[in-house]
Amino acid sequence: MQAAQTLTRPGMAIKVLIVEDNPVARSFLCRVVRESFSDTIAITEAGDLESARRHIGLPDKQKVEAATDPFKLILVDLELPDGNGMELLAELARYPATKIVTTLYSDDDHLFPALQCGADGYLLKEDRFEVLVEELQKIVRGQPPLSPAIARRLLGHFRQGAGGVSGLSEPGSSGFQSSRPMPLGRGAPLDHERLTPRESEVLTYLSKGFTIKEIANLMGIKWFTVNDHIKSIYKKLNVSSRAEAAVLASKQGLV
Amino acid sequence: MDHPSSPPSPAASSVLGSVAFGEPSGTSAESSLDSGLIDPTLGDDGRLSRWMGWRLRLLVVAALVGCVALLATARWLAAQPHIPADWRVGAQGEIELARADDPPLKAFEGKALVGLLNDSGQVAILDGLALQRSPRWIVRDAQRERHLDQHQQVAAVMGGNSVRLFFLGGRQVEMALQPRGLAQLGAMFWLLSAMSLTLYLVAMVVLLAKPSMRNLLYTVASLCQAGNLACMAVESTLQLGLPLGFLRADLPLRLAFDLVTGAAVVHAAFPAGRRRPGTHSRAWMAWAPALLLAVLGAVGALSGVWWWAQAGVTALGLAALGLLTWSYRREPHPFATVMRRFGVMTISTWVLLSIALAAGHRLPAVQQQLANIGPAIWYLFFASLLLLIPFMSKSQQVMREFSLLAAVSTIATSLDLLFVAVFSLGQFASVTLALFLSLGIYSGARQWILNQLLGSSVLTTERMFEKLYRMAREVETHPERASELLMQLLRELFDPMEAVVVEKATRGVRVAGDGSTLLVPVPQLPGHADALPVSVVLRFAHRGRRLFTSEDARLAERILEQLRRAVAFDKAVEQGRSEERLRIAQDLHDDIGARLLTLMYKAQSPEMEEYVRHTLQDLKTLTRGLAAPNHPLSHAAAEWKADLTQRLNAAHIELGWNLSFDRDVSLTVVQWSALTRVMRELASNVIAHANARRVDIEFHLLQDRLELTITDNGSGRNPQAWAHGLGLGGVRKRVKQLGGEVEWKEAGPVGIRCRVTIRQLSERR
Repeated sequence: MQAAQTLTRPGMAIKVLIVEDNPVARSFLCRVVRESFSDTIAITEAGDLESARRHIGLPDKQKVEAATDPFKLILVDLELPDGNGMELLAELARYPATKIVTTLYSDDDHLFPALQCGADGYLLKEDRFEVLVEELQKIVRGQPPLSPAIARRLLGHFRQGAGGVSGLSEPGSSGFQSSRPMPLGRGAPLDHERLTPRESEVLTYLSKGFTIKEIANLMGIKWFTVNDHIKSIYKKLNVSSRAEAAVLASKQGLV
Repeated sequence: MDHPSSPPSPAASSVLGSVAFGEPSGTSAESSLDSGLIDPTLGDDGRLSRWMGWRLRLLVVAALVGCVALLATARWLAAQPHIPADWRVGAQGEIELARADDPPLKAFEGKALVGLLNDSGQVAILDGLALQRSPRWIVRDAQRERHLDQHQQVAAVMGGNSVRLFFLGGRQVEMALQPRGLAQLGAMFWLLSAMSLTLYLVAMVVLLAKPSMRNLLYTVASLCQAGNLACMAVESTLQLGLPLGFLRADLPLRLAFDLVTGAAVVHAAFPAGRRRPGTHSRAWMAWAPALLLAVLGAVGALSGVWWWAQAGVTALGLAALGLLTWSYRREPHPFATVMRRFGVMTISTWVLLSIALAAGHRLPAVQQQLANIGPAIWYLFFASLLLLIPFMSKSQQVMREFSLLAAVSTIATSLDLLFVAVFSLGQFASVTLALFLSLGIYSGARQWILNQLLGSSVLTTERMFEKLYRMAREVETHPERASELLMQLLRELFDPMEAVVVEKATRGVRVAGDGSTLLVPVPQLPGHADALPVSVVLRFAHRGRRLFTSEDARLAERILEQLRRAVAFDKAVEQGRSEERLRIAQDLHDDIGARLLTLMYKAQSPEMEEYVRHTLQDLKTLTRGLAAPNHPLSHAAAEWKADLTQRLNAAHIELGWNLSFDRDVSLTVVQWSALTRVMRELASNVIAHANARRVDIEFHLLQDRLELTITDNGSGRNPQAWAHGLGLGGVRKRVKQLGGEVEWKEAGPVGIRCRVTIRQLSERR
C-alpha cells in the first residue's frame, strides 16, 4: 500500500466530484478516494450529467474557464442515465482538474475516445479495492495506465497523420468528418501532433504487452523516463484530438 | 427485298469481323492466350465510330451498285420479245404447250411444238432441249452445242415483229411479239435475285468490317455464289429462248464461279495460324488447277467439260475437308469441326447430284428436269450455308435446326431425283419414297447429331447450384479468390481448352472470336469493390468441339447474377448476425454487468466478492468475444500478458512470459475466449492456492500445434489428489472445446506444471 497522496496545500479541503449513477458504486468510489489521499476531502456526488454540470457551474453546457473554487479531481462514469460521460469530459476540456473515467468497459473502443476527450486516466470498476486505490494514486501522480489495445490505437492514431479525425472514427463510427475548421492548422504535423522516435518505441512495446519496467530494461533507460514518455504521449493525444473529441462527443451520445 | 443498309451493332461486327473457315484468325499455337485476339474484342469502343466512317459509305455504295445492277438486269429481261405461254418437255423430248392465256393459242394446250417462223422467213426447229436452262448443267458436249444452236435460231426468229408457231400435225398459229414486261418475270426470278443480293451484301459487310485474308476469301466465295444465283435467276425466265449474249457467257461464268469458290474454300481451310514458311504459297497452289480448268473450259479446249467441272469441284471440296481434318488434329478449334460437318454435307450432296445427272442420260426429259431443279436446290443450300457462317455463334439453336432441315431437304431432293433417274420410278412414287427415307434419316439421326453438336452437359443443374452456393460462401471469406473460383466453375460448366484470368474490364458476358472465345467479367462483389477489373477468358468450349453461343453467354450471365445475389445475401445475413450479437453483448454488459457490480460491492465475504468478480470478468470476456469476430494472436497475447502481469504483480508474484508463434493466426471468438479464460483461471489458481513467488508461462504455436505450459514454484503437490472444483473443470472443458488436452504434473522439486496441448488449432474453428 502506497503512502496517501497529497493533492494540494495542507489544511485546505480539496473538492472531489464523483459522477456515478449507481449509489453502491458511488459510495464504493468515495471509499477509494478517501483511502487514496491523506488530505481533507470534500466529496460532491452526482447521479447524472445534469447535476454534475450544476455542481461544476456549467450553465447549459457553456464552457467556463474555471470556477472560483474548482474541483481538483473528477471521476466520471461513462454510462449515465442522461448521457455519456464523454460529453462532460469534452465540456471540461479546459477545466484544470484531474479527470478520471470510471467504467466497466475495459476495451479500447470505449476507453480510447474517452482519453481523446481529455481523460487523464481510467479506473475499471470491477477491480479490487486495493488495486483501485493504487491505480488512482498512480494517475494522480502522473502514471496513467496504458493497455496494449489502447497503445495500439494510439500508434494508429499518430501514424495516420496526427490530429486527423481518422483516429476517432475508427473502427466503429465510419465516415465521420468534422466540419469545423481545425484550430491547430492542418498542414504539416506540428510537434504536438507527432511522436518522437522514443515515444513510438515505448508505445510499440506497450502494445506488445510489456510492462514499464521491462521497457526500461529493453530500452536501457530509467523507469521514470519511460513514464515521462507515456505522460507525454497522453498529453499529445489530448491536445491533438481535443477539438475533434469535443465535436465527436457532442454529436454522438455513445461511441 | 431487304438489304441491310444500316451497319450492324458493334457486337455483331466483332463476330462478323473475323470470319474464318477453319482456324482461329491469327492465333499462334504456342501462346496460351493470344492477346491480339482478345484486345480488339475486349475494348471495342472505337469500333462504332470507325464503322461510321469510310466503311459505312463503301457499304452503302456497294448496296446501291447491287440494287442498280439487279434493276438493270430486270429491265433488260423485261424488254426481251416474248410469247405469252408456258412450255414443258413432253414424254418423247418434244416441247409441249403447258398453258396459254391467249384464246387462239389456248386451243393448242397439250400439243407439241415443232418450230417457229417469222415474217422475214427465218425458221427455228425446236425440241425439248431448248427448255434446258443452263448450258453449264448439260452433260454431253454435243447436246450443249445443239442447245446453243436452237437458241440461236430462236433468237433470230424472235428478231421480227410477229411469229408463226407450227404445231405437230401441221396446224399453225400467228402471234404478235411484244416486250415481256416486269410483271411477267416470275416469282422465281425475284426470289433468286433477292438471295443473290443478300449474299452479296453479307459478303461486303464481312469484308468491310475487317479486311483480312480470310474475309477476302469468304467474300470471293460468296460473290461467286451470288453470281451463280444471279445466273440462275436470269435462266429462270427462260421460255423459248434466252438472250444470246447471256447464253454464250453462261458456261464460262458458272464454271469459273464454281471452281473459284472451291479454290477459295481450300485456301481458307489452310491452317494460317502456323505462319510457317511455304504455307501461303501452298495455299495459292489450289488456285492454279482451278483457274486453269476454268480457262480451258471457257475457251472450249476441254471435251466433256461437265465431267471436268464436277470432278474439279469434288476434288477441291475433298481437299478442303482433308485440310480441315488435318488442322483440327494439330490444333482443335470448334470452327474446324463445324466446317467439316458442313463440308461433308455439301460435298456428298454435290456428288449425289452429279451421279444422278450422269445416270439420267437414258431419259432425256427426266435428266433435263433434274438439271433444272437439282443444281438450283444445291446452290441455294450452299448459299444459305455461306450466309450462315458469319452468324454461326450468334445462335446455335437456329443454326442447328436450319442446317439439319437444309441437309435433310437436300438429301430428300437428291434421292428423289436419283430414284427417278436411275430406277425410272414414277414421279409420285419417287417423291413418296424419298420423303419417307429422309424423314427416317432425320428422326433417327436428329438426336445423335444434336448430341454431337451440343456435347453432353458437363455439369448437371443440381450440381451446378450446389457449386454456385459453395462458391458464394468461399468468395465471401476470400474475396480475393473470386476470379479463380469463378474460372473453376466456368471450366466445369463449359470444359474449355483454355481458361485464363486477364486484368481487363469486360462489359457483360460476351462471345468473341467467332464463338471460340467467351469473355466473362468477374463481378465486383460487395466488400471487395476496390479490386481491379478482371475478366475470365474461356476458349474452345468442350475441348474444342463446340462453339460458344449467345445461349452460353446468357447462362454465364445468369450464373454471375446468382453469384452476386448469393454473396450479397450472405453478407446481409452475416451483418445482421453481427449486429444482433453486438446488441446482445451490449445488453448483457450493461444490465447484467451493472447488477453484478452492485452485487460485488455488497458481497458479505472476500470469497463471495472474488467469485462475483470472476463472474463479471467472464461476462466481459463473453461480451467482448461476441462483439469482435476475430482476434489476431499477437494482439490477444499482448492483452493476456498485460492482464496477467497486473494481476500477478498485485499478488506479488513474478511473471515469466515466453511467447513464440510461426504465424500470427486470427483466433476465432471461441478460441480467443477459451484461451483467455483458461489462462485467467490457471493464474487465479496459482494466486489463490499455490503460494508461489513466480509463475512461468510458455506459449508456443508452431505448425498449427499449440503448447501452453504454466509452471509455478509454489507449494502445490500431487495434482491427482486435487478436488476438481469449478475452476479446473472449466479449464478441462475449454481445452476439450478446442480439441486439445490438459494435464497437471509436479514440476521439479517444488511447484506444479500445467500443460495444455492442442495438436491442430485450426481444425476446430
